[in-house]
Amino acid sequence: MRKNSLTLNMFLLIVLTDIGESIAQLFMKTGLNQTGMDSVTFANLQMFFQANVSNAYIWLGIFVYIINFFLWITILTRIDLSIAFPVGSTSYIFVPVLSLFFLNETINPARWAGIALIVAGIHFVSMSARLKKREA
Amino acid sequence: MIKVFLLIILAELWGTGGQILYKKSANNVDTPDLRNLSSFAGFLRKIVCMPAIWAGMALIGVGLATWLVALAHVDLSFAFPVDSMQYIMALLAGHYLLGEKFNKYKVMGTLLIICGIALVALN
Repeated sequence: MRKNSLTLNMFLLIVLTDIGESIAQLFMKTGLNQTGMDSVTFANLQMFFQANVSNAYIWLGIFVYIINFFLWITILTRIDLSIAFPVGSTSYIFVPVLSLFFLNETINPARWAGIALIVAGIHFVSMSARLKKREA
Repeated sequence: MIKVFLLIILAELWGTGGQILYKKSANNVDTPDLRNLSSFAGFLRKIVCMPAIWAGMALIGVGLATWLVALAHVDLSFAFPVDSMQYIMALLAGHYLLGEKFNKYKVMGTLLIICGIALVALN
């Protein structure tokens, strides 16, 4: 396959890392809630570490982060950083929309406008990747 | 406030530095076939042996720590819009350090995303 082509598969892979990132954060947050240690200072660093190191959710979060890291490097083997990075902002769309459906949170008009701008922005950045392919 | 602002920018600089090292490393590796386990395993072996990958990870770690320190002092609704400056950094780093070309769609799209994140974060 040609270098630097933002194929549908590559796009979906970027979206997958965004979803992975959100899931990892959710695991981490769940773990921190369980241990009750959710603030770090220099004074409690050791206690923070001891309380969280045995928590399964924390490790699940770390595991997802590691998978995500390898997927991200895979993406970078083919896609420009200045394209992959902005396209990787889909979590700003998914998190509010999923919160709407699953957590019954509301999205006000200004947020909808923000989501629309992000979608348009991702579209244009992806378009620039296709443009480059045509010119190449 | 200005100190925290600079701290967030510093965190982004660390993070962007890390991404540049990731990208430079990734440019020297073939894309693995994710459906093929041995291809992916070979890819893993290759990248864990690259010093620039570890250096990039260290930079991103420092960036994350800096970000957390900054967050302790300000609200997320202030931090997130400032944090979206990293898209500008990725754009500039891509152009000046990685030989990725600007074009009007890329610049316009990136600016739209930044405005969108600011709107989402502020509301």
